[in-house]
Amino acid sequence: MVIVQQADFDAAELTRQLRERAAGKSGAMVTFTGYVRDYAPDQPTQTLFLEHYPGMCEREIQAICDTAQTRWETHEPVVVHRHGELHSAEQIVFVAVASAHRGNAFKACEYIIDALKTRAPFWKRETLADGKQFWVQQYDADAQKTNLWNSAIPGNPSS
Amino acid sequence: MSGTAIKVLYFAQVAELTGLRQETWPIDTPLSGSEWLAQLAARYPQLEPVQRLKLAVNQYHVGLDAAIQPGDEVAVFEPVTGG
Repeated sequence: MVIVQQADFDAAELTRQLRERAAGKSGAMVTFTGYVRDYAPDQPTQTLFLEHYPGMCEREIQAICDTAQTRWETHEPVVVHRHGELHSAEQIVFVAVASAHRGNAFKACEYIIDALKTRAPFWKRETLADGKQFWVQQYDADAQKTNLWNSAIPGNPSS
Repeated sequence: MSGTAIKVLYFAQVAELTGLRQETWPIDTPLSGSEWLAQLAARYPQLEPVQRLKLAVNQYHVGLDAAIQPGDEVAVFEPVTGG
């Protein structure tokens, strides 16, 4: 289930719903929630604006979820990603993965959030307390992590 | 838009630098991503160096060797910062 929306989400309710859908088949669920934090080292973040590419966003996130579901044999993953203007400490993104065993659930959840960083077409613009604005740059570390996932042996989820 | 142009979408920093969100761009023959980026740089020198920019064709990420055909939707942007 992939949702891209401006409105906030209820992580507890999304978790409850996945638990209900996966009941009996999944022995483990891993969830991740991302929040707006201070990006600049010396000044608090006033707002974070997320621009997105409607249509491609949903399709790309669905493709990421499909890969995770197949590779780690999970229940259909849940991703909710917000766009628009967000304030400090607000929720940005939610990922939930249920699987028979915890190892696959942890790996699939981490794969999804790593892939969102480098593939989901969002761009973050930060506004500092003094009104200064800048676009957040993609971290080299995120790109490297995505490459690591791609180079891991496919079909060997326990690797 | 028929077979004589592409629809170009600009996002984030690229939209700020071009002053546009989208435009129709005439092309009469297929181009590679890098050939089209060279055209883009000629029209908007403020986007240089364009090699850092990423492309999506019909809403799929593509490399600079990808073919761009008349009728395509081509998006150009800085590396994404989702999640």
